[in-house]
Amino acid sequence: MERRRKFKKVLVANRGEIASRIIRAIQEWGSEAVAVYETPDSEARHVVQANEAVWIGDGPCRDYLNIEKMIEAAQKTGAEAIHPGYGFLAENPNFAAACREAGLVFIGPPTPVIKQLGDKVLARKLMQEAGVPVVPGTEPLPLGEKGEKIAVTFARKHGYPVVIKAVAGGGGRGIRMVQSEEELKAQLPIAQSEAKAAFNDPRIYLEKFLPSPKHVEVQILGDDYGNIIHLGTRDCSIQRRHQKLVEIAPDMLNNPELTQKICQAAVMAAKKVGYVNAGTVEFLVKDDQFYFLEINTRLQVEHTVTEMISGVDIVQAQLDIAAGNLLPFTQDDIILRGYAIEMRINAEDPKNNFMPEAGKKVLVYYSPGGFGVRLDGCCYPGYVIPQVYDSLLVKLTVYGLTWKEAVHRLKRALKGFVILGPKTTIPFYLQIVDDADFQKGVFTTDYLETHPHLLEYKEDEPEVTKIARLIAEIHHRGFNPYAV
Amino acid sequence: MRVTRSMSVKEILDAVRRAKGYYITNTQRDLSQSDFKNRILLHTDLLAAPYREQAGYFSLEITGGASVHVDMLRKQVNPFLKLKLLRKEMPNTMFQTLCRGVNLFGYRPYPENVIRLTVREFAKYVEVWRVFDFLNYVPNMIPVFEEVKKAGKLLEPCICFSTGPEHTDEYYVNKVREILDVTGEDIILCIKNHGGLGTPERIGRLVNAIKQAFPDLIIHYHGHNTDGNDIGRIVSAVLNGAKIVDAGDHALTGFYGPPPILTVIDTLESYGLKAEGIDRDAVIGTSQVLRKERLAYIDFESQYKGFDPTVQIHKLPGGAMGSSLEQAEKGGFLHLMPQILLEELPKVQRELGNWWSVTPGSQILWTTAVNNVLSGERYGNPTGDLKNLLLERYGPFPFYRPSKEIYRKVFGPDWQRIVEQEGGLQKIEPVDLEAEKKALEEKIGREASIEELVLYLQHPNDAVAFFKFEEKFGKTYVLPPQIWFRRGGFKVGEKISFTDYTGKSHIIEVGPTHYADGKKATHFVIDFHPIVIVSEDEEKKETSSTPAITKEEIEALAEIGDVRAPFNASVQKIEAKVGDMVKPGDTIIILEAMKMQTPIESRVKGTIQKVFVKEGDQVKMGERLLLIKPKE
Repeated sequence: MERRRKFKKVLVANRGEIASRIIRAIQEWGSEAVAVYETPDSEARHVVQANEAVWIGDGPCRDYLNIEKMIEAAQKTGAEAIHPGYGFLAENPNFAAACREAGLVFIGPPTPVIKQLGDKVLARKLMQEAGVPVVPGTEPLPLGEKGEKIAVTFARKHGYPVVIKAVAGGGGRGIRMVQSEEELKAQLPIAQSEAKAAFNDPRIYLEKFLPSPKHVEVQILGDDYGNIIHLGTRDCSIQRRHQKLVEIAPDMLNNPELTQKICQAAVMAAKKVGYVNAGTVEFLVKDDQFYFLEINTRLQVEHTVTEMISGVDIVQAQLDIAAGNLLPFTQDDIILRGYAIEMRINAEDPKNNFMPEAGKKVLVYYSPGGFGVRLDGCCYPGYVIPQVYDSLLVKLTVYGLTWKEAVHRLKRALKGFVILGPKTTIPFYLQIVDDADFQKGVFTTDYLETHPHLLEYKEDEPEVTKIARLIAEIHHRGFNPYAV
Repeated sequence: MRVTRSMSVKEILDAVRRAKGYYITNTQRDLSQSDFKNRILLHTDLLAAPYREQAGYFSLEITGGASVHVDMLRKQVNPFLKLKLLRKEMPNTMFQTLCRGVNLFGYRPYPENVIRLTVREFAKYVEVWRVFDFLNYVPNMIPVFEEVKKAGKLLEPCICFSTGPEHTDEYYVNKVREILDVTGEDIILCIKNHGGLGTPERIGRLVNAIKQAFPDLIIHYHGHNTDGNDIGRIVSAVLNGAKIVDAGDHALTGFYGPPPILTVIDTLESYGLKAEGIDRDAVIGTSQVLRKERLAYIDFESQYKGFDPTVQIHKLPGGAMGSSLEQAEKGGFLHLMPQILLEELPKVQRELGNWWSVTPGSQILWTTAVNNVLSGERYGNPTGDLKNLLLERYGPFPFYRPSKEIYRKVFGPDWQRIVEQEGGLQKIEPVDLEAEKKALEEKIGREASIEELVLYLQHPNDAVAFFKFEEKFGKTYVLPPQIWFRRGGFKVGEKISFTDYTGKSHIIEVGPTHYADGKKATHFVIDFHPIVIVSEDEEKKETSSTPAITKEEIEALAEIGDVRAPFNASVQKIEAKVGDMVKPGDTIIILEAMKMQTPIESRVKGTIQKVFVKEGDQVKMGERLLLIKPKE
């Protein structure tokens, strides 16, 4: 057997649950993990779990985005590689380049690949060349009247609504839909200035709008030796404002042939760009047609569902690949079995527009466990929902041999949480789990809009809970304040 | 022969008239009020209900008096729901209420449309209506009389009884005639001896005098055992022709409420008088159940143990004994009780007209006597209710008016003009019931039922607080007194089991408690599911208590527009809002303490700048109420 190369130490340039997830993989893989943290994260789980931790500044957020500090932290601790996680610097080609220039291994695709795929229009072009279908769209629009003319012509040809997208966008950001020519003309300059503000790139382009499609994506892995395999599909159709809420593996298309085609297209797409390491090829699927959307050049939040049905530790695979090893398995080794569902338990109030419960303290935290339940979190009793970072408490991933089993397990696990302090998305998720369409596995990207009752859950408590609250009051006060 | 609620008024009256023996009313409500500060819970009454049903009483007095208020305020149970639940267990026994006439179940007169609505709603569940007025002023009772008759229920008007030179048989016989002139003959007459005053001989003589004048009239004797001799009065009443008497379950009898039922039965038995319809074993059985429960109420029994034969001097009604002693203890003037009870109270009583010491008159007498002693200045701090009394707004003085000196002291040198202009029976405008319902619904954020409106009209702030309690904590009448009144918390591992109002059984196991963030969190196992319940640490909240401030300082501050609470009280009504112009003498806020309302008047001319409190708030002496920016 060949001798596999290992890093002695890997720095994780991220925070929260994903930092914990990566640290676990690094330690299991046989390396030491270095965490970095900003002051507000001084007591965070990832800092505790890592073998060592480096304070990089008061933040908030700007130090997690500071390339120099990351590299300095890696050099100071003797880390050989850097894993960027998702968000922050994960898809920043400058960070990948800076790491590599500093002699560090960046755990991700080659810098030019990140750059190419970050340009959504270029990516579309490459895919078309490779024979992967894309949603009809325009080139980046020139500024001013010229761009407007192109846009109007495109929209007339394909019909409204159309979607305005930022070239540098992705992950559901920088997207707006317009219903009419008038609206299109009005929105173009706004979209441009927004894209400039959000991505420092004012370029926008138009895409035909696909009504109620499914969002299907393929997890791919590629090594330095040209081997590219896929780990099957995920269904991320249940979204809220283009942000994924519930993620499922495999897709729920119920069409193995189509799934097969999509996976092959994804591998083809990856090969076309010379993809290395883990990535996700995203598609929109409408009826029997699928269209390339984008490639995410990073580990994704929802990678856990793929891990559950494939048995592959994607992060460890990333480490292997980055260390220059051959992919430890071939496409034939990959056997997908069963269903996995992931939900993000956020400290948010679904009834109040999913407003984060920032600043609230988790007074009590019990989590579910047992067969088929996986938790990736950063929450603990005493955890304060950060004002400056995201409100994710824990990612719940459940596995079931059948869809039905997975759904039942999901419900059981959701009910197993006891989180006191902030409001959470759990009651909302319980509504989804009880929804007939969800149980049948039928949902498209407009699921939330077409199922508004999901937000109409009652916060009514059972009688016994109310009475228990009084008993607690009598107990805590030492007398019944309502009786004397 | 036993009477039951399925019989018509006429059938009942005929049965009672024909009966050789006498009937017994179980006055549970009065027992609870007199000896347990009104705290006996519905839970306990439900335990006793099957036995009391079997016992065969003429009626069970289970509502009315202060109980409607206390049900909501301290027991957190809907007074209507209480009657409905008891009715399920007691299909045959008539329920009886005690209604304070124009004052209903409260402490001051209500508008006539509120009175009628209230009686109509309660009459759906209450068969016997005992009605009184503390001045024996019949017109104050007429709207209630009319509604009870309309509802086809048994009307039992009272003559309040007391002692003294004015309280002659002739006076009372005339009063009975006055009542009968209004009600007709199909009533029961109650001799309401709320203080347990007079000797057995006196009561016997009174019953006899009334019987002589109205031979067919059914007399119901109601007494209290404060001096330990109510059995004597009951026997004397029955021997002289009273047909119904009041007593209580012996396991709960104390010192100020009714005497034991069983003793009444056995005593009269030897005179050859039989308690009609009574199942003696069921009477005993009731007490066997209740005995176990009594321990849970120990905190609410009187501070003073033992009978108080000096009641013949101070005349406090049995229903006010416990609460008065409690107030004295809390107020730190228990040591002054001999002076208050034996000297000042009888003196005030005589000075104010020697009428009947019963709600709300008893509160006026008591508060005045206490104020007189504590302040050292007699009639120096008149309450609003005392003023109203002197103005005869509650009704005319039955025997004589208080002296000019008292009027001058209370109203100042201009007293004659004030009495002339403001005196006379209070005319209370009807309220807009629809508007009140809307106001209630706004306060509770949902639709209100008519019954809820009735409760709201009685005690607006406390009813709303109760409805909110119910929403937050559910229907808690299912909890036994051992849980409801628990002091010092529960033991770790203690299991509390109960059946909720829907009939589901539950077990709540108490686990350890920890502190987090100034809050207490206790781990419970509710029906085998672990749950943690967090609540605010109350002790922390207490830190903002107002520093002690003297009465003189409060007075001085009032002169510059800084209006402070002159005593511990609840804010009943705020009469002024920010921006209002006020002048000296304008009522700006009404406080209530010990059921007495006191208007707080502005001492300055100026504009209301700030209001620190809201209606329903509890305020401590010295706490800021309003700020007036003086003009000039």
